[in-house]
Amino acid sequence: MSAIDQGEDAVVIIGSGAGGGTLAYELTQKGIPVVVLEAGPYLKNEDYVNDEWEAFNQMAWLDPRTTSGTWRIARDFPNLPAWIVKAVGGTTTHWSGATPRFKRHEFAAKSTYGRIDGANLLDWPLTLAEMEPYYDKAEIAMGSTHVHGRKALPANNNYKVFANGAERMGYSFYSTGPYATNAEEYDGRPASIQDGFNFQGDKNKSKWSTLVREIPRAEATGLLDLRPDSHVVQITHDANGRADAVLYLDKDGNLQRQAAKMVAVAGNSIETPRLLLLSASPMFPDGLANSSGQVGRNYMRHTTGSVYARFEQPVRMFRGETMAGVIADESKHDPDRGFAGGYYLETISLGPAFLASFADPGAWGSKFTEILDAYANTAGLWIVGEDMPVETNRITLNTAVTDKNGLPVPNVHFTDHANDEAMREHGYTQAELLYEAVGSTGVHRTPPYPSTHNLGTSRMSENPQDGVVDKWGRTHDVPNLFISDGSVFTTGAAANPTLTIVALAIRQAEYIADQLRTGGI
Amino acid sequence: MAFPAKYPQLNETALTEEARSVLIRVIRVAFPHPRFPDGPYERTADTILKEAENSTWFRVALTQGLLTLGHLAGGDFRDLDDEDATKVLRRIESTEFFGFVRRTTVLNLYDNEDVWEVLGYEGASVDKGGYVNRGFDDLDWLPDPRVDTYTGPNTLVEIADNVPLSKVRGSEDAVATARERDTSNNPGRRDAEMAEVKK
Repeated sequence: MSAIDQGEDAVVIIGSGAGGGTLAYELTQKGIPVVVLEAGPYLKNEDYVNDEWEAFNQMAWLDPRTTSGTWRIARDFPNLPAWIVKAVGGTTTHWSGATPRFKRHEFAAKSTYGRIDGANLLDWPLTLAEMEPYYDKAEIAMGSTHVHGRKALPANNNYKVFANGAERMGYSFYSTGPYATNAEEYDGRPASIQDGFNFQGDKNKSKWSTLVREIPRAEATGLLDLRPDSHVVQITHDANGRADAVLYLDKDGNLQRQAAKMVAVAGNSIETPRLLLLSASPMFPDGLANSSGQVGRNYMRHTTGSVYARFEQPVRMFRGETMAGVIADESKHDPDRGFAGGYYLETISLGPAFLASFADPGAWGSKFTEILDAYANTAGLWIVGEDMPVETNRITLNTAVTDKNGLPVPNVHFTDHANDEAMREHGYTQAELLYEAVGSTGVHRTPPYPSTHNLGTSRMSENPQDGVVDKWGRTHDVPNLFISDGSVFTTGAAANPTLTIVALAIRQAEYIADQLRTGGI
Repeated sequence: MAFPAKYPQLNETALTEEARSVLIRVIRVAFPHPRFPDGPYERTADTILKEAENSTWFRVALTQGLLTLGHLAGGDFRDLDDEDATKVLRRIESTEFFGFVRRTTVLNLYDNEDVWEVLGYEGASVDKGGYVNRGFDDLDWLPDPRVDTYTGPNTLVEIADNVPLSKVRGSEDAVATARERDTSNNPGRRDAEMAEVKK
């Protein structure tokens, strides 16, 4: 690893997950040295623990946060709005691995869906056609199954129930992927051994993450200065309104300064707007890059929910990949269902410890315990669909509550849009019908977990007054400040977001390299 | 000196063996698993008692809660049958006492191998080579489904046929009208037309 002097004007990337880790890799491949500041520790695959709560305490972002709004999370898990990772590799180290692409019309939500009351819809300033080459690159990098010649994952027990139910429902578009988990050896990483743990980190390295691919390869170039345990607290700027440095706390809590010629923020959609808001100054009184007032707004979390179904015979859903099944039939836009946008159904499995905590928070008694008593005979799926961007769903600084460094914590305010509720209801019903079609003896609707897909709080827009960044992720207000994570999503689409975050970061890296070379930054 | 409390029970903040046994009964009634032996319930009760030691507020809430149960039970809570005991717990389910017991139980009762075995959960497998050769696909009461991408005659219609569409830039083959992409928050042409007042 090369050390970059803190006084040298460096290319600084904040965060090492899907966006930041990919950007660091792509830039170092092009010969550009970068500093990566990662708030969490450098955990390696061998450090992971295959135990749900122990792993949660090891990996999750547990810094205090507050919540408001009518979402159930504010009641059940008031200080855990999101379930994301604080470690090198970011949330790619615990993601499920699903890699569907956006559909063409999902880049044009406003013109496709029309005006929807209370939804702050906008078309993306880019199209699927522009994204396709980068989707290809991202899928090849991540080793997505089912595409580019990658073999499909085998059917595990949970998938057998899921796919047979899909077939009997009349669905066609089901398969075990695409997932960025190796079904056979690929890119120097082994095939899945179906060990049953994803959300706890993959000890076997079969699942793609920036921890197993981008970070070590960037380190191998000698151009990456990776600083774990470095929590950025402010981006400063010069008299011309250009970012000139980043202030961060090292692991001992000492404030450090890294000079910067360019800054890319990829802290996930809660910390990214929090950092921009924390960087307010007399020149940027509402927060850095916030002349539109859209920083922190339009927070999206995907419309989700789970259904767990019981059968007379064993399923043992915990054996094998946690997620390895997708149904795309409901991912279309068909307003006759009573809502705009679409959703996927994907297999999911939890162990008894997490199922008890998340199946029906607050519940007790025999209705609750029958869910767990049926554990061995239970199959599960997750609904994941597009939710509406709503201006009042937003991240703000809660000045009444501070973290251990004395900084205001982010407050996450969220209330479901009526469209979200209608979609979730439809998803629950379809899932129940699916399981009934293969003989379920009981089903349970599980409410959304703390958010794993956090999106939209620094959104892309054609016009500076409508959003925070342009089509390259460059902020409209600060020419050498970029956003490189899912907070740039103009709208959420139905697809799991990681593939799109990676594709956008690969595309952004080309642009940044070009701009650095030509003096555009 | 410490003044005696108005009610003598309030002096009783140390949890007795009897209190522990009431607590075990509370957990069993609230989280009934006929197949669970006593061990997991006792373990969970001890975890709750230990956590209560660390917080005066929880200790007081727990002590008072266990005492009050007797009042609602009209005697010893442990003497009630499952149905009556459940009714008593329903009456107190919104109390701090019960919330503390419920939360701590949910977090701890199911986070141990003693119940995993009963429930049929096998846990970590990486040291045994995963489940790939140990039954990850042993479900045999349904046919083996297709795993590959669908290649049959159906096509996934991305946008239902009856949706009036703006023209999507870069996709001239789309179901299209002669409209433009809408990348602005301002009301679009379509919105303006729909809101137009005509006589």
